[in-house]
Amino acid sequence: MTDILSIGRSGLAASKKSLEVAGHNISNANTEGYSRQRVRQTSGIPLIKDGMIASTGTRILGTERIDAGLLEKRLQSSLSENEYQKERLNQLEQVEHIFNESGVDGLNKIINRFFNSFRELANQPENETIRSVVRDSARMITKDFRRIRGTLDSLAYNIDKKLEHEIVNINQSLNQIAKLNQKIRSLEAIGGESGDLRDQRDIALKSLSEYFQITTYLDNRNNFVVNAEGVGTLVSATEVQELAFRGQDKDSSSNGMSGSVEIYFKNRPASHISEKFQNGRITSLLTARNSDIQRLQKEVDEIAFNLTKGVNAIHSRGHAFKHTIQIEGEDPNKNTGILFFKDLSNGENAGNEIALSSDVENDLTNIVTALEPNNPGDNRIALAISKLESAKILANGTATFEEQYLKSIGNIGLQTGKARLDTEQSQGLLAQTKSLKERITGVSIDEEAANMIKFQQAYEASAKVLKAADDMFQVVLGIKR
Amino acid sequence: MTRVSENSNKAALNFAVGKAKERLEDLQIKGTSLKRVTKPSDDPLSNVEALAIGSTSISNRQFLRNSDHALLQLNTTEQALDQLSDILLKAKDIALQQSSDFYDVATRRNVANEIIQLKNQMLSIANKKIGNRHIFAGFDTLKHPFNIEGDYFGDDGKIKVEASKDFFVQINLNGREVFFADDNKPNQNINSIEFQRTLASETPDKEFHKRENLFGLLKMLTNGLENGDSNLIQDLLEKFDDAQSRIITLRTRVGSIVNSIMTTRAQLESENVDLETHKSKLIDADIAEIFSDITKQQQVLKTTYQSGQAILNQSLLDFLR
Repeated sequence: MTDILSIGRSGLAASKKSLEVAGHNISNANTEGYSRQRVRQTSGIPLIKDGMIASTGTRILGTERIDAGLLEKRLQSSLSENEYQKERLNQLEQVEHIFNESGVDGLNKIINRFFNSFRELANQPENETIRSVVRDSARMITKDFRRIRGTLDSLAYNIDKKLEHEIVNINQSLNQIAKLNQKIRSLEAIGGESGDLRDQRDIALKSLSEYFQITTYLDNRNNFVVNAEGVGTLVSATEVQELAFRGQDKDSSSNGMSGSVEIYFKNRPASHISEKFQNGRITSLLTARNSDIQRLQKEVDEIAFNLTKGVNAIHSRGHAFKHTIQIEGEDPNKNTGILFFKDLSNGENAGNEIALSSDVENDLTNIVTALEPNNPGDNRIALAISKLESAKILANGTATFEEQYLKSIGNIGLQTGKARLDTEQSQGLLAQTKSLKERITGVSIDEEAANMIKFQQAYEASAKVLKAADDMFQVVLGIKR
Repeated sequence: MTRVSENSNKAALNFAVGKAKERLEDLQIKGTSLKRVTKPSDDPLSNVEALAIGSTSISNRQFLRNSDHALLQLNTTEQALDQLSDILLKAKDIALQQSSDFYDVATRRNVANEIIQLKNQMLSIANKKIGNRHIFAGFDTLKHPFNIEGDYFGDDGKIKVEASKDFFVQINLNGREVFFADDNKPNQNINSIEFQRTLASETPDKEFHKRENLFGLLKMLTNGLENGDSNLIQDLLEKFDDAQSRIITLRTRVGSIVNSIMTTRAQLESENVDLETHKSKLIDADIAEIFSDITKQQQVLKTTYQSGQAILNQSLLDFLR
């Protein structure tokens, strides 16, 4: 008879535990990264007593966390991919913005205006006012080159800052994972439930996959290992290999700018591992800095350098006309060889260094139109400079200034457009994976509600069993009276 | 049966709403700017092509300005040539009247004064200016190209402007072409040269044959009148005709340049219209299409909201009382 009591009691306990877990699930329905749990329950081991098999009620094996396993890994790699594309789009959109000419006057229009100002000067080479128009439009050019080049530089600089920031975050994540490994291990050693800690570790792994692609596995000594794909082990159980960053000087930097940041293993500063990372924000930032932005910096420099070189080559051949009285025997070639732009020794950093020559900056009459000395009406130099607009002198003599510049813009447009499509696509994939995973591990309130009713009723029924046993006891006890 | 959890439900709804809103926002930007391409990545090829068209049409506008300028100078030159030919006609009339011995010396002296006046008129034409530019001075435009003696101080500079892309037109005639017939330096002793020519008339020398100096002609006429030399005057008649026909040739040249500029202008203007049309096709939005798309997208968003409401606001618990 006591069997009945203990069977009833086991049912009562099991139902109570199940209700508890259902409650836990419901309360965590909106918890980030929570995987639903359920009670693992089995029937009691039957005993043989007095030659008969006696049932022993129900037994709770423990709570179990519904694990999505492979899906979780797929989610991590989708996250890496998505973060890579998102960051790429973010960076490229900023770059694109520099070159966006719809609505505002960009470099293309400004260069065009510069050449047209020389055409206007060719109309009236005697006119001082037009010279000042020419100088203003040339100033606009130098200003816009510096704007473009400067903004590109600061984008690259911001990427460096961002990388430094991310490395700190990455190290935090790594340490958090190691700590969770420790906790999970000690909890499981005493047979505790580690489901909620595993949820937290999954969250930490997911935030780590936003930075770069990772793989995780249990090694043969049951250590939980986190690998950065292409780089190596970062966490093995409780051991952490932290990352470090260091700014490079100009010569050893990978984008030709001093202070650009590279990533190292902490305490192993021999060679940097920046390029080895795959996917994720880190790779995206490095790609934008080392390839996209750097290429544009070079292209802008090339245009700026060739513009100054081309204009100077023609301008210095002419003779300035001065309204001073010519002194007998004075060298008429004195007013020649004047540079229009400041002479740049080479193309490096030309976009930042482009400026008017001090001659032109100080004196408008130093803007030359005449090929021969003392010819105020001679406009051949001005005409020749305006002809530079259609001269194919860039990209080994295959492109005009405009064509080359538009090629850069077109390229950026294509890249950004592609990044946008890729981002959309990877976002779709990510959402799909997330929802697949959530379908398996997420909490359904409807389901839990149904479960609650089920367990409540089971609880009531188990209580009825106890009541029945009690009644039976009463009957037996009543015989004596 | 696929299991549906709260979070998968919510994520699906978020994704759908986000997608619909993103499209609507994109359409809204296009609707407000009325541009199909607002940044290079919207359509890289069209964007680049539109930019190239933009600078072509700005350059075309500059070419139109250039040709305005050229026309101003060419028309002034033509007027000057017209006045020159008037002066030559008057001088020739006078020469014709005075070529016989009909008039007496006193009359001829008076007439000579008239010729001197004509010569002064001619000088003012020769030193004609547009703004501060002397049109007959070649490149040396800031000085008077002719002095009172008719000596030329300008040069042979050919001022050209770009009337359309890579099409350069000369917009000036230099003083030497107009007032002297050959490329020799202006000779101070015009009289003697002219004299030599008459002496050498039996042996026609092409160089000499072509030579007449407009100032020199008037000066010789004055001399002839003052000296009563009717032979000289008769001799001059033919040269006035030569000079006249040369001026007419120059006028024809100017006229043909003006014509070619006018043709170019017409081409540029129609090209600009074509370019703008093309550019608009490349980057402007089809308004009707955009607004019908917006309406459609708004409907999509509304439906998404409604379906969300049905899912989010209800659960089994609502029915367990």
